[in-house]
Amino acid sequence: MEQQELNKRRSIPFREQMQIIRRILSYASPYKNQFLLAILFSVALAVTNAALPRIIQIFIDDHLTTGTVATQTILLFAGLHFGVTIIRMTVWYFELYIFNMASEKTVQNIRHQLFSKLHDLGMRFFDQTSTGWIITRATNDTEAMKDFWHVFLTIIQGVFGVFISLGAMFLLDVTVTLWILIFAPVLLVIIRFYQVYSSRTYGEMKSKLSLLNTKLAETINGMSVIKQFRQEKRLQKEFEETNKAYYDSRYSMVKINALLLSPVINMLYTLSVVLILAIFGINALTSPIEVGIIYAFTSYANDFFRPLTRLMDSLSLFQDGVISSSRILTVMDNEEYVPEQAENADAHITTGKIEFKDVSFSYDDEHNVLNNISFTVNPGETIALVGHTGSGKSSIINVLMRFYDFQQGEVLIDGKSIREFPMRELRQRTGLVLQDSFLFYGTIKDNIRLMNKAITDREIIEAARFVQADRFIEELPGQYDAKVVERGASFSSGQKQLISFASTIVRDPKILILDEATANIDTETESLIQEGLERMRRGRTTVAIAHRLSTIRDADQILVLDKGHIIERGTHDELIDRGGSYKGMYELQNIGLQT
Amino acid sequence: MGIFKRLSWFFKQEKKSYLLGIVSLVIVAILQLIPPRIIGIVVDEIETASITQLSLTTWLAILASTAVLQYVLRYIWRVRIWGNAAKLEQIVRKQLFDHFTNMDNQFFQKYRTGDLMAHATNDLRGLRMVAGGGILTLADAISVGLTTLLAMLFIVDWRLTLIAIIPLPLLAVTSRVLGKKLHLRFRDAQAAFSHLNDKVQESIQGIKVIKTFGQEKEDIEEFSKQTDNVVAKNKAVYKIDSLFDPAITFIMGISYFLTIFIGGLLISGNEITIGDFVTFINYIGMLVWPMFAIGRLFNIIERGSASYDRIETLLREETAIEERHGAIDHPITGDLSFKLESFSYPEDEVETLRDIDFRLNAGGTLGIVGKTGAGKTTILKLLLREYDAYKGKIEYGGYDIRDYTLDALLKQVGYVPQDNYLFSDTIRENIRFADPGLSQEAVEAAAKLADIHQDILELPNGYDTEVGERGVSLSGGQKQRISIARAILINPELMILDDSLSAVDAQTEETILSGLKDIRQGQTTIIAAHRISSVMHAEEIIVIDEGSIIERGTHKSLLQQNGWYKDMYEQQQLERALKGGEA
Repeated sequence: MEQQELNKRRSIPFREQMQIIRRILSYASPYKNQFLLAILFSVALAVTNAALPRIIQIFIDDHLTTGTVATQTILLFAGLHFGVTIIRMTVWYFELYIFNMASEKTVQNIRHQLFSKLHDLGMRFFDQTSTGWIITRATNDTEAMKDFWHVFLTIIQGVFGVFISLGAMFLLDVTVTLWILIFAPVLLVIIRFYQVYSSRTYGEMKSKLSLLNTKLAETINGMSVIKQFRQEKRLQKEFEETNKAYYDSRYSMVKINALLLSPVINMLYTLSVVLILAIFGINALTSPIEVGIIYAFTSYANDFFRPLTRLMDSLSLFQDGVISSSRILTVMDNEEYVPEQAENADAHITTGKIEFKDVSFSYDDEHNVLNNISFTVNPGETIALVGHTGSGKSSIINVLMRFYDFQQGEVLIDGKSIREFPMRELRQRTGLVLQDSFLFYGTIKDNIRLMNKAITDREIIEAARFVQADRFIEELPGQYDAKVVERGASFSSGQKQLISFASTIVRDPKILILDEATANIDTETESLIQEGLERMRRGRTTVAIAHRLSTIRDADQILVLDKGHIIERGTHDELIDRGGSYKGMYELQNIGLQT
Repeated sequence: MGIFKRLSWFFKQEKKSYLLGIVSLVIVAILQLIPPRIIGIVVDEIETASITQLSLTTWLAILASTAVLQYVLRYIWRVRIWGNAAKLEQIVRKQLFDHFTNMDNQFFQKYRTGDLMAHATNDLRGLRMVAGGGILTLADAISVGLTTLLAMLFIVDWRLTLIAIIPLPLLAVTSRVLGKKLHLRFRDAQAAFSHLNDKVQESIQGIKVIKTFGQEKEDIEEFSKQTDNVVAKNKAVYKIDSLFDPAITFIMGISYFLTIFIGGLLISGNEITIGDFVTFINYIGMLVWPMFAIGRLFNIIERGSASYDRIETLLREETAIEERHGAIDHPITGDLSFKLESFSYPEDEVETLRDIDFRLNAGGTLGIVGKTGAGKTTILKLLLREYDAYKGKIEYGGYDIRDYTLDALLKQVGYVPQDNYLFSDTIRENIRFADPGLSQEAVEAAAKLADIHQDILELPNGYDTEVGERGVSLSGGQKQRISIARAILINPELMILDDSLSAVDAQTEETILSGLKDIRQGQTTIIAAHRISSVMHAEEIIVIDEGSIIERGTHKSLLQQNGWYKDMYEQQQLERALKGGEA
């Protein structure tokens, strides 16, 4: 997916661009009225803009040139000018404010929909997509939408500015206006030129900057490796090359902007003044003309050219916006949904009996990772799954948790298909304890409650006591309100496990699914965890990927898995008696102990 | 203004370039005065009917040439001033990078990656603004402001000028005040956005937990709270941000009011001409930018100087690891003698290590075992000279390791760390990290020894496969083996494996260790591990607990001691067998 993204940077065909823009604009539709209002203000702004030179022109031509003027008349025109200015100021403020707020709300809307969409996606999506990629879509790409929306504002302002000043010129003098229009093709050529060169250089500059920052971050993260291998000098040299390359492309960007942006627009404006003076001057050689009109025309010419610099400058942002939009839409279009439950699913988990009947499952629809798996776990019993990596232990849990949908066979809970239960019922009645316990930023309480407001503080404390997490929690400053930093970095892995036990047990699940940690756990908490696991299993149907001897020996049933097949099953004693591969492993280790 | 002085080294260095830019800027400022004046003159000539073909042609020719000349000069100053700003950024970025690579561990503990990145991006931008926008604004405000003002005073009318410019200082004040306010609110908005970022990050990283507990709806609600906060903070920003243009309009409106009123009176009294009036109105418009820019200048300077402060603070940090004058520069060889009385991490009162004493003869192997956090890695860090401040002596070949140059020591040590950091590059480049000049054969030989060669061949592009952020994701065991290959490749005198086999299965571990034993005849090895099987063949094994040695001996003698080692060994054997040999 990331690879596709990189290629997209090159160029998106025009039609696709239009499609992307149309789709992303649809997220703005709830705020249509605000946007329309802002556009209306935009028109009003351009109109007041055109009125101001006209006031001065009339003042000059109708009053000043006629000789002495009454002070009252002068004051009237000065006041008129000021009055329009006040209107202009007010209109401008509301235009900006309303537009900005509408675009802010649109971004919020996009974010909300994107985030909700993410939660509708199944584990397959998260297993296949890197976390960083998803985060960037939800934050930076949506943030880029604000700039994108601002580009639209610039375009609207620019277009109205240009057309209304042209209109005002037409009202004054059609011939002169037509003459001024000869600048239009020149402008179009310059805009096109600028667009071609700047978008290329701009894209290059941006990708070089991101390369530069990636290199910097990598170097900082890998500093100990660099120092260990004494590669400081080499990396300094390499970094300087990237740094230089970025400077070079930035410098080209500066040159392109200097060559084609405001200096050239400024020159064209002055040349248009030459044209205006020439036409009026030549006319004046034969017959007298009104001079205020010259002032008005030079003013309008300024209004005509001025918005173009900003308009051109925002072209590169426009490209960025299209790219960000297309990335957002890839997420919105993703169809790796959470497995579907039956439409009127309303079953309840009562006893917690689990049955797998001939279940086959594959991640990619080609290679089965589970083949005809059948087993039954009676209410309150424990089943232990044993086998190598890739034997299918985790896949059984993925199927049972409905992280993935299975292709063949039946999974029954309390005799009813797992598809007959609402997802919420399944999630709340089954407690999965993950191998790596993940803690969220917040407090201990928050982490045990995990956003479920129905859970009381009392229940939290009881749950913690039950798994014996209370001892270390009560020693913390603030106890249950003690801060948990990002990813729970200040706790040992054992402590994190205990907290996650508590959050599972506080929900009192009927079914317990354990993915036991293989990681080294500090010995102090090891015994607490062992005991906690035992207590949690009591009275609950348990499916465990077992790494602990105690869990395996206590199990009512052990499944030995190999390449997606069950190769042996039975209790510990039965399996030893049978003399299969389980016994082989067990004996091997006994001999090992004696040497 | 102090920031300009502190950056004077750069301005001096780029003296010519800045001079050219500023001279162009000043000439442009003067040239800018011509068009309004010509418009005024032509207006007057038409009004008084004194216009002739010759005078018109002359004025238009002058106007056209100023247009072209302005274009050229504007191009020059833009390229000079903005180009220099980019150059300053480049130079300081290099200073920062070089400095980072010279810093010790303590530095990286004090400053987190995110902070350092922020300095290298935001603060550099602040600095670039000073060298570009700052200089430009300063020069522009002075030259355009001053020349226009002079032109208004002397060419048009001094009375009209003095009255019309009364409101203009308000522009400077407004931009300064609004700019400051905006900056504060903007910072809040940034903070809100970064909280939103954190929220998303957590939700995605913890997606399995959220799904497990079926808390999707609640999570979306929490997310909404965050976006509401972002909207609220940005609303505050927009309230101020949308004020800038209207405020300018208002202040200029007052000025125009005064101009029209007083100008009208003056024309009416025949004191000035209509052409003067037209010229004057244009000039007033030209003062907007310089006045406004002065206010902005203060903000640029303020932020730039804060940025430079932060950068300089970083650059002033010193490393505690330094080579002694006249340090030994022949590569380490011989026996290692480790006699440590005590060591505590800087700014930490707890003793992390105490009385660690061992001797490792050249060619020998030492095993270090102990539970997580016992101090195994710290022992190795001291050997790698990540910390130099400790009581005791570590000697290699009879000399204190602190008496060697860093090259002499570290180039002979192949350290495979616990967390296997790979760079976003091809597998080949990652393996030959220590020397990109090495051949493919050498890389493959090392990969074979680390038992990763086959795995690499099965990847889409073999040795050219990219790893890291943008590349394929490797399993923990694969990463470990690549790091081992990376260390093997330098054929180190001392090889250190720091729990580097924890993610590979027992059989692979066996293969790698025996392979290493074969090629590393006569070279020294230290293996720290949680898993006993990694160290059981070592000549000596030390067991560390809470920073001290609690047991020591060979595998056999340790089993007889009936202590921690034996317990651990039995437990691990048992569990491993039941897991089917999986780690």
